[in-house]
Amino acid sequence: MNELDYLRQMRSLNRPVTPHRDLWADIDARLGEAPVIAHPRRRRAQPWLMAAAIAGVAVLSGGVGLHLARPTGSDGMASTTQPWKPADPRLSGAAVELDAAHMELTQAMKDSPDSPALQRLLLRTERQRDRLRNFEKQAG
Amino acid sequence: MNALCLAATSFMQPELPVASTDDDVVRAAIGGDRKAFETLYRRHADRVYGAVLRLAAFDHARAEDLTQEAFVRAWQKLESFRFESAFGTWVYRLAVNVALMSIRARNADPVTIMDDEHLPDITSTDNPVRAIERDELEKAIAALPPRARAVLVLHDVEGWKHEEISIELGMAVGSSKAQLHRARGLLRRALGETP
Repeated sequence: MNELDYLRQMRSLNRPVTPHRDLWADIDARLGEAPVIAHPRRRRAQPWLMAAAIAGVAVLSGGVGLHLARPTGSDGMASTTQPWKPADPRLSGAAVELDAAHMELTQAMKDSPDSPALQRLLLRTERQRDRLRNFEKQAG
Repeated sequence: MNALCLAATSFMQPELPVASTDDDVVRAAIGGDRKAFETLYRRHADRVYGAVLRLAAFDHARAEDLTQEAFVRAWQKLESFRFESAFGTWVYRLAVNVALMSIRARNADPVTIMDDEHLPDITSTDNPVRAIERDELEKAIAALPPRARAVLVLHDVEGWKHEEISIELGMAVGSSKAQLHRARGLLRRALGETP
């Protein structure tokens, strides 16, 4: 049997077959028991909701930008602390992180100067920076 | 009078016209009309049963169970039918999926897995290139290992592509091709032909 004959014979099997008995009665009996599975229709994204979300993000990012761009006062805590750049490259990454944390904390303390949590965090950050400076001195 | 008419009609199931399209009947069935669903069953049962029977190794008892299961699931999932394809195609795919799930479940049982050595010899080898009787071909297909049979039936009988088979059977396209090659070899051997 060549390939064509084979495929023709196989395709000849593709035919409807009537069941030996009527299956409907059994199916019908089961339909009463079978719970219909609810398939919630996919919700289309509401245009007004998307617009509101985009506007919200824009306002938020603008506010953050303005907040960061606001010049700190001459008597501000941030201005009292000069950025520190250790010569040792192993310490410079940590120094950058600590400087950034220090700056964010001092900014936040302008809004809430009496916050004990911010004061604690600022103190801890300064201690860590001191420790880093000591490491640098010890390393020579 | 009007109230009487309304009361009378509310007790009567509206008969669907014989020429109703599947879409109309499906809409009625989605609304809970079982008579409409029976109409769909009557229209598509033979095609579904035929496909399921071939996948179930021509075992009529199993094919009956699978067909029942397929139509019960179709009823349950009817709300998810999107009218993007014909209902017949949708219920056929659903039934094939039910049959394949059954094969996968049975595959977990090592007793049902048959390898080449256990393939029964159902042929006489005196005339290997004769036209094969349909009954003989069905017996040879039925004797194939379940997974190989599924791939062979879907590809060579139902006309599916390897990509579709691989998705339904959860295997790589290459594995589907390999299974088909193996199944054809086994089939030829069972039919007494040299591969």
